[in-house]
Amino acid sequence: MKPRFDAFVVGMFLALAISAPSDAARSLQDYRYFRSLSIDMQGRVPTRTELTDFERTDFDVDNWVESKLSTSGYEDRIRRIYLDPLRPALSTIFPFVTSVVLRRHSIQVEGGTTANVYWRNGQRRKRDSTDGIFCLGEADTGLKFPRTGNPTGTAKPVTKAILDQYTVKVKPWWLYRDYASSAPKDLYSATTWATKYPNFAPHPALLTEADGSATTEIRVCKEEAQTAESGTIYKSGRTTTTTPADRIVPLAGDTNFAITNVGKPIYCASDTAVTNSADCGCGVGLERCSPGANNGFDPSGFVLPTKAPLGVTLPVDVGSTAQSEWTRFWWSQEVYEFIARLAREDRDFREILTSPSTVINGPLAQFYKSYQGSTCCGQGASFGYSEPQSLFDRANVPTDLLPHDTTTWKVVSDRGPNAAGILTMPIFLAKYGSRRARAHAIYGTFLCRQFVAESVELTPSTEPDLTKRPGCSTCHATLEPMSAYFARVRESDWTFLPKENFPVLETKRCNRSTPASDCRSYYDPAFTSDAGAMLLGAYASQTNADLGPRGFAEATVADPAFAECIVSTVASSFLGRIMVTDDATRLSTWKTALTSGGFRMRALIREILKSDAYRNANNLNSTLWRKEEGP
Amino acid sequence: MSSSPSRRTFLKLLSGSILASVAPMRAVADTLLSSDEFFVFIHASGGWDVMLFADPRNEAKGIIMPPSTANTTTTGIRRWVNSPLGDGSSSFSMVQPSGSKIVFGPAIGNLADHYDRITLVNGLAMNTVSHPDGTAFSSTGRHLAGGRSPASSIDTVIANELGVEQLLPSISVAFPSYVAGNINARAMPLKVDAIGSVGKVLTRTPNQEPSATRDAVTVLLTDEARELAKQAYYADAYEGLALQYEALRGMLDGNLKDAFTDASLRTKYPMFNYKGTFQGPRCVNLAFALEAMTRNIARCIGLSFAGFDTHASNYDDHAATQQEMFDALAQLIVQLESTKHPTKNSSTLADHTHILVFSDFCRTPQINLRSGRDHYPNNSAIVLSPKFRSNVCFGSTDPEQLLPSATFKAALGMRAPAPPDLLATFIAAFGVDPTPYMRDGEVIKELLT
Amino acid sequence: MRFEASVLLLMLACSKTPEPTPVVRATSTPVNAIPGHESLREDTTHKEGPRLMVAETYMRSYLAIFGGLSPLDSQAALVGAGATRDNNLFDRWADYLAALGMPDYKSDIDRSAQTNALMVAAFERTGIALCDRAVENDLRGSRPVDQRIVFAFEGGPEVASDTAFATRFDIVHRTFLGYPAELAPTTNRTSKFYNLYKQAKANQTAPDAGRFRLTADEAAWAAVCYALIRHPEFHFY
Repeated sequence: MKPRFDAFVVGMFLALAISAPSDAARSLQDYRYFRSLSIDMQGRVPTRTELTDFERTDFDVDNWVESKLSTSGYEDRIRRIYLDPLRPALSTIFPFVTSVVLRRHSIQVEGGTTANVYWRNGQRRKRDSTDGIFCLGEADTGLKFPRTGNPTGTAKPVTKAILDQYTVKVKPWWLYRDYASSAPKDLYSATTWATKYPNFAPHPALLTEADGSATTEIRVCKEEAQTAESGTIYKSGRTTTTTPADRIVPLAGDTNFAITNVGKPIYCASDTAVTNSADCGCGVGLERCSPGANNGFDPSGFVLPTKAPLGVTLPVDVGSTAQSEWTRFWWSQEVYEFIARLAREDRDFREILTSPSTVINGPLAQFYKSYQGSTCCGQGASFGYSEPQSLFDRANVPTDLLPHDTTTWKVVSDRGPNAAGILTMPIFLAKYGSRRARAHAIYGTFLCRQFVAESVELTPSTEPDLTKRPGCSTCHATLEPMSAYFARVRESDWTFLPKENFPVLETKRCNRSTPASDCRSYYDPAFTSDAGAMLLGAYASQTNADLGPRGFAEATVADPAFAECIVSTVASSFLGRIMVTDDATRLSTWKTALTSGGFRMRALIREILKSDAYRNANNLNSTLWRKEEGP
Repeated sequence: MSSSPSRRTFLKLLSGSILASVAPMRAVADTLLSSDEFFVFIHASGGWDVMLFADPRNEAKGIIMPPSTANTTTTGIRRWVNSPLGDGSSSFSMVQPSGSKIVFGPAIGNLADHYDRITLVNGLAMNTVSHPDGTAFSSTGRHLAGGRSPASSIDTVIANELGVEQLLPSISVAFPSYVAGNINARAMPLKVDAIGSVGKVLTRTPNQEPSATRDAVTVLLTDEARELAKQAYYADAYEGLALQYEALRGMLDGNLKDAFTDASLRTKYPMFNYKGTFQGPRCVNLAFALEAMTRNIARCIGLSFAGFDTHASNYDDHAATQQEMFDALAQLIVQLESTKHPTKNSSTLADHTHILVFSDFCRTPQINLRSGRDHYPNNSAIVLSPKFRSNVCFGSTDPEQLLPSATFKAALGMRAPAPPDLLATFIAAFGVDPTPYMRDGEVIKELLT
Repeated sequence: MRFEASVLLLMLACSKTPEPTPVVRATSTPVNAIPGHESLREDTTHKEGPRLMVAETYMRSYLAIFGGLSPLDSQAALVGAGATRDNNLFDRWADYLAALGMPDYKSDIDRSAQTNALMVAAFERTGIALCDRAVENDLRGSRPVDQRIVFAFEGGPEVASDTAFATRFDIVHRTFLGYPAELAPTTNRTSKFYNLYKQAKANQTAPDAGRFRLTADEAAWAAVCYALIRHPEFHFY
């Protein structure tokens, strides 16, 4: 009988260095094992050259496996285990369309030319005819402009003087690498940038003028072109909302926030600033805004991979996408890179939930620096919340990453005090929009538990507390306190609600006797009494609400089920089957391997790959086994 | 691999005298088996608001905040007739076509015209408000366990029992198809993300090599798979592959590539509203179903309509989203009624097509703080099948909280019906014993003809 | 089956009252204590079903075998110049992803864990494209043997004997299945593939075969190739 690569003895492999004797011929099982290792560790079948190496007498499988533990194939393998249940990608069902979007109108100009003019919805302007909408009005163009879509009326050419009065020319970030310089020169080139900055490709319509010539600078409304980091709060003096004859979009009266805070400084990278300050623009090179090639709700913006199962550097399909896809696309990649880093550096796997760090590239740096505040702060301004406190502190965003740096990924060691692994990444918060969905996703993926109330009868009840309500309590007694950890992160959003502005129990503005109209956006009427109003989602655990996502992360990794779940999930992926009762011993051994080394994934993977369960996934029936093994 | 031929055994028993004394199954015993039936399963993905179509509510009662002009865009909802609520807004008037014993909400659209084909089931107890779990529960009758479904979905079950001889036993276009347990490999759902993919995958280049060569390869591989299966402790995967190799030849001979392109389907079936705002593109899947049935190549077709997860102010469009789906479904019925069955000359497709429409769960009776409706553990389902009693509404919910009522006389007493009951009934309607597939379901005899 | 069992129980219940049966307790017997099993070794090895290669691995393996091109570059090469709707060997990878079992995170579509007939059809469609192009790349022209990715054997595609075939086949077999053909667990694999080779060659030259782009030998090797990339041992591991 030929020497066997895989003796059918439990644990024997652990003691064997796989260096075949000099006359060894590999058995079929040996080859199958090597092929399995290649599939799992390299993501492909072995090449003939690798087989030849494997057949050499001095080939050491242990060393081979060890060398593969630091490759991209291994990162990919580990990442897939968690991407499959988390599915961190979003379709247009989550439209990231905020005040960062620059749309454009094509305007007839005297002399018979057409100009594309970029603008953003909601931009405050001191002309009533254009405040909050496009910067050229009916008197200038003969047209009335809606918030999105085509204008109405009979167009007349705008004079050059008017055009120059209300618009300016800018060399924006999507056309120039050195957009921040005083005289940008490094113009976008489809041929050279494709190599230097893969996957950075503005939509063709952003690169061409109406006359067909190449775009080298764009015309944008003057207010949007402003570059200051902060502006001042503007008050128009209007007390009511009206719709003047030259507009189709109503002209709003001043908000209480504007009236109360007029003249005070405001940080420009927030929606509150856009809608309350006439001197907050899109920043240097328009870096706080996202370009759109038309006047639609979510205009075309970039050409991006639309299908990339092997990673964004190896797309299988590339196409024009709406501007919002640019942001959603890179949000996904943050999770991909974050998990890959955990695998690459063999970091404590608990960091997937607890780490304050992340990995970002240029587009993500731009988002965290300039876009993330665009969903803040809405009616929060009434609570004194007008400058976003982010889950990712913009002060910690690397300053040397430019939007074009698609392949340069930098570690940010500390995003800020509220950051926690994937839990505070926009893709997770948007994919799992509600507090309960967020808690449920983590509960299932990292504790391997499900909420199932098989046959509980639901009876009518007026009890608003789902931890008590008959039938509901079966699941919600657990779920509600967990979802409370997310009470300070707005639903379908990443805006953080700080304690200073939003105490868990609000006693001044939102209590039952004197409710303010904007209370319902933040406080739960079902849990409001004369004593105060409860922050939305916090009723089941005020403590958890204040602990936030980081508290949830700490509680989850401290749960004994966390390690068991990791081991079970990873083993299930490598063995290709569900773990069953018979696996208890090996799962326990593997759990020790994982935890004793500080939750290092490589220790677990080594044990699995060397185990009899993995090696002997032979699937041979007993008759054949006896024949192969001999008497 | 065993294909769980429960139908054959079941029918053998049904035909004998033994079963004649088994009273609970008598209704099933009268059912004729047939392999000339077609099945369309539709998942309204996201959780629909049943108050707008199946379990209509137009009064503020208890915790119920009915659909109204204050929360719903009613423009374009053809059957919406204002019924004042007294607070300045208006809900709708109930929709009950002449002759209909079913009362609908206004979003039912043109489907209301087919009340005489509809079996409506209300008050389905879901016991879940999680999308994955609700979806799995509705399509398999079992809740997820460890994130996986412990049971096969209804399309897989029916394909396993009635479809393995068919060219495409079960085709699943973004439908929540699951496989668990002892299922014939031929019945594995053929999953695609878009119908056009079917044509592309089945295209073969005519001037590259003779089909005889491809067939020879397939024969060799089938032989290899069978031999590997003999050596295997778990033979299912290899045996399944052998069956699938064999099936491939038939699929390639079916000349399907041209028929199942998006463009050809739109051209051949122009009656569907492909330009609909909410469901337009998905109508091509109904055209596919129609073509597949006309050609007699598919047994089960699983489809999905999306856009129902309206937690926020997008609830405004929920009624319109439903109406487009139900209009499309009504159009499908019209086509089925006017299309001859491919093998039964005296019948139309409508006589032998069975449609089940369900969702993850329903939406809360209250409007939430974001002007939308959240998840709620109640549900409704629509069956359009000659095997079911039609113009019937079974099950109900309580008037103040929209919770399922105990209307089903089950073995252990009255309780609310649940998805496994409906699925078991559906399976039993075709002479198949549901027991091996539907652990928790009991046949609702009242629903069957 | 539970239903059958219940009916049988019903039948038993309706028959005459059964005699009390003494309880027989099963006792454990070592396998070698059973007559005739004295020398039979007990199989205590853990059994697992084969794992299906995930779609990403299929694609990566495919691309590696095709020469390490990117998906888009490989797509262009597989489609080839001058392809028309009627003679295209390949469409777009994007057209095949779902059928190959790839998940779609955006649409929350899970990956397929089992094969199905459409997946098998996708394996054939993509496999034929790979092999036909590999034949063109490796067996036509003057590419040195050590630079050929699939058909890396000396001599032309024409095979004069079963030995000559076996030598060549072993190389292709190792490329796809990862082990020498002589170790194949199925009966006479090399012979079976040689028969396929001969049959494919004959099919290509049959009088009624029409006009094909590949020569008879090329077509025969292509058939061997796509029988291997579609082989159960390629997809399961």
